[in-house]
Amino acid sequence: MPLDDPELIADFVTESREHLADVEGQLLEIEANGANVDIELVNKVFRGVHSIKGAAGFLGLTTVNRLAHSLENLLGKMRTQELAPTSAIVDVMLRAADALTKLINDVEGSEGTDVDAHTTALDRIFAGEADTHEPASVRRSAPPVAAPKLATAEAAVVATPRGEAAPSRAEPKREVSASASFKPTVAENSIRVPVGVLDSLMNLAGELVLGRNQLIQTITMDDHAGIDAVAARLDQVTSELQEAIMRTRMQPIGAAFSKFPRIVRDLSAKLGKQCEVQMDGKEVEVDKTILEAIGDPLTHLVRNSLDHGVESPDVRAAAGKSTVGTIHLRAYHQAGKVRIDVADDGGGIVPEKLKQKAVERGVITAEQASRMGDREAVRLIFHPGFSTAEKVTDVSGRGVGMDVVRTNIERLGGTVDVESVPTKGTSIQITLPLTLAIIPSLIIRTRGECYAVPQVNVLELVRVRVNEAHLHISRVRDAEVLRLRGELLPLVRLDRVLGMPAASEAAPESPVSVIVMETGPRRYGLVVDEIVDSEEIVVKPLGRHMKGCNCLAGATILGDGRVALILDAAGIAAADLAEHQDLGPNIDNEAPSGQVIPQDVQELLLFSVEPDDRFAVPMSLVQRLERVSSADIKMVGGRRLLQYRGSSLPLLRLEDHVVAQPLSDMERCFVIVFRAANREVGLLTPHLDDIRQISPEIDGQTYRAPGVSGSFVFNGATLRMIDLVELAELAYPEWFVGANDQQPLDSEGPLVLVAEDSTFFRKQVSDFMASKGFRVIGCEDGAAAWNYLTNETHDVQLVITDVEMPNMDGFELCRRLKSHATLGSLPVIALTSLASDADKERGREAGIDEYQVKMDRERVIEAVTTLLPRRKSKSPSHRAASANQSEPCLSV
Amino acid sequence: MTRTMRSPAKVSGEKLQLATFYLGNLCLALEIGQIQEIMREVRITHVPHAPPEVSGVINLRGEVSTIIDLRRVLGLPPAPADTARRTLVVRAPGESIGLVVDRVADITAVDAGDVTPPPPNIGKIDGRLIRGVYPCGERIIAILHLEQTLALAPVPIT
Repeated sequence: MPLDDPELIADFVTESREHLADVEGQLLEIEANGANVDIELVNKVFRGVHSIKGAAGFLGLTTVNRLAHSLENLLGKMRTQELAPTSAIVDVMLRAADALTKLINDVEGSEGTDVDAHTTALDRIFAGEADTHEPASVRRSAPPVAAPKLATAEAAVVATPRGEAAPSRAEPKREVSASASFKPTVAENSIRVPVGVLDSLMNLAGELVLGRNQLIQTITMDDHAGIDAVAARLDQVTSELQEAIMRTRMQPIGAAFSKFPRIVRDLSAKLGKQCEVQMDGKEVEVDKTILEAIGDPLTHLVRNSLDHGVESPDVRAAAGKSTVGTIHLRAYHQAGKVRIDVADDGGGIVPEKLKQKAVERGVITAEQASRMGDREAVRLIFHPGFSTAEKVTDVSGRGVGMDVVRTNIERLGGTVDVESVPTKGTSIQITLPLTLAIIPSLIIRTRGECYAVPQVNVLELVRVRVNEAHLHISRVRDAEVLRLRGELLPLVRLDRVLGMPAASEAAPESPVSVIVMETGPRRYGLVVDEIVDSEEIVVKPLGRHMKGCNCLAGATILGDGRVALILDAAGIAAADLAEHQDLGPNIDNEAPSGQVIPQDVQELLLFSVEPDDRFAVPMSLVQRLERVSSADIKMVGGRRLLQYRGSSLPLLRLEDHVVAQPLSDMERCFVIVFRAANREVGLLTPHLDDIRQISPEIDGQTYRAPGVSGSFVFNGATLRMIDLVELAELAYPEWFVGANDQQPLDSEGPLVLVAEDSTFFRKQVSDFMASKGFRVIGCEDGAAAWNYLTNETHDVQLVITDVEMPNMDGFELCRRLKSHATLGSLPVIALTSLASDADKERGREAGIDEYQVKMDRERVIEAVTTLLPRRKSKSPSHRAASANQSEPCLSV
Repeated sequence: MTRTMRSPAKVSGEKLQLATFYLGNLCLALEIGQIQEIMREVRITHVPHAPPEVSGVINLRGEVSTIIDLRRVLGLPPAPADTARRTLVVRAPGESIGLVVDRVADITAVDAGDVTPPPPNIGKIDGRLIRGVYPCGERIIAILHLEQTLALAPVPIT
């Protein structure tokens, strides 16, 4: 039996696949030509199918033979122009070709397969029995409907023509393709390599042999001087060889594009839309691993464009567009990377609608939505929260969500972005590296074993000294988190996630190395023993037994010949998440809930000029932190300026305005950037110590000075709290002149009630408000405020309240006020030190008009001014917020 | 795949070249053509989350190959510590896989017709992992079913 000859079978499969690969496109072209038959084209398809038929007959593959025969018959009739191709006919032929491809792909199982539905359909057309005529105008829009008898017959028997198979297949395939980035595909297909590339490979191999001979010679002769030359030569040859071999792996991206005309054809018919595909840059070459991995994401994007982008013909016509939509696929090189754009000229994404949907699904809060720009809003489509919900409700099973597309592309080391103009269309832009075979990576060590971490996932490296570990690393429920610049980053211990036995706590003297990893929307810190080196590694697949190791993306061979495993950032995140189910994926961006960190906590940035001269500023006022080179700081007109980002930032030094030890000359220092008088100012400091959430007992007396609002004790040291705005005013009084030129009023300013349990803050706010010309009533809690407001005669126009207070908290106070007959119209501003979104929501429910962060005076005053009733024509004056805020605050 | 492998239990008159090796006292064999090479010491990199039968991976001239502890696959206790174990590298579809054995013996040519189907179990070993047995003097050579062995979890043969 010829079937027993595996080589012959393999040849047959390879050849048949080549034929069939072209058939689909050719059939579509035949369809497009319609009655205007291109005989040469039909001939090509005929010959391809004919060869398959012949070879199948020889090999005893009767099923393949039979199907190919029926298909060939029909093509023969077209060739002789006895039959004009219509959409309905081509549709049947395409399905038959699909079935044939399936048979070829599983050639050993082909014999038992039932292809009767296809052969019957084909033969009926051949015999002229089927009604295949249709009005030309609906040709593009509804081909399958035109032959209802056939369509139903097929739908019953052939459950998997490609059009329908794609969505159901996409679901299980998701995980496979997601993890397939560095893993081998099941069937290694052969690839075509240009002879020129092979020649250069041969040449280089010759060079390599020559180099080896030279090396051996040099070593035998003990010629130490010559060895350098040989090494240099070998180095060059190896690099060139590597490059040449990479070129053999490069394949035109057209291979991934070729299926789209068919997909769009079938899907647009199903959706009752009209759409055509334009493809540019099919010749752009990418590594075959990329080509294999990009297929699914691209398919999803194209289907998505058609489903959600391109409108139905009548909608398009009403909008004055051509009824036929266009999906434009474009590939090109850009900055050493490959860029693929999938653009449609459809309805585009309306940012407002998307935001609304996102809020409904709890992806973002209403407050976030209001702050979100349009571009950012459109990017919400990549948010996992979105597609999950979509997947559940979507009965048509469009399969994977956009977040999976993003994850898959990011796994390839690429990025994806979206741009959309409502009514004009949407464009998804994918950027991919040229190859995956060699990736820059970080070599790390844990428990004596080396691992490689792809650099694409590495954001930064953090070392935590042992004696500081307790300051930076803490526990939230059962997970460890790292405080990193005010954010809480979940930590994943590599040894734990890899299932190694728990470490003996024997090495406390070594610092903790944390790699800040990013994968998709998740960020986490990977704790490893040691960071060894960064290296370009060649990715090797792992064998079939390691398919279940989701934490690994492959393996590589290190310089010493040992195998090092490559870690999969997403797999580790998933494995860790499975361990800490209760910990939401977004813990990294949110402060943990109230029970972990009490409400009255202030987030403070701690810094020092000298070890014993320590300061703090509220983090809420800090715009950002910069590390700068002292060389970039220029003295202009006696002022320090930092030249950066194309503009100059005025700088302050503490010792110029506050009693502090002078800054010694340093090569680099930090700049705390904040806003004062509507501009950015930087405060120079040599050391940033930490960002901590502490509830300081602030002493507003001892160290009170211009620029210093008070002091507190923390970890045995006394820290001075810097008043940034005051400091700026000391340095640049002229900025504040505009704000201060109004004449101060006497006690006629609007009356504001301040409810705050902390004496320090109450005094702060009261002093500040007083300095701006307000009259202030201070109350030590909500109950006192309520008593005052309900029992006294007063003309309070605004209430500023703390949230967390004994007896009656800010929420309760606000609720009572808002439901009070006469006090209901009183605006309420809540001051908090740490406002989580949930708190803000609660506050809004209670009727709080505005949330402001404690100590952010400028914004507090802004909020007060906006909220104050308009009837007061005399605006409060802005008295100089200078040192002598002697006006006493009234206390109840 | 199965098509390419001739069943030794059926064809008679044909000579089989068997490479024999030991796990303790158990004599096992593979067809010589299935073995690519035999290695002495190998530097194994342990792979976390891999099946327990997998000892790890090695660098086999630039390829990363899986190493499987045959004792574990067959459910035998670990080898005594002083055993100088060897690794048989076998050809598997798409990759080379190393099988760790206690000792490599010799190459024996046997008549394929003399190979008999295995009993349900040989010692404590699942018979499904054995393609056939061949009595050879005092010893019995059990011919390993390579595919079943590499599949780790034996599936019933119908």
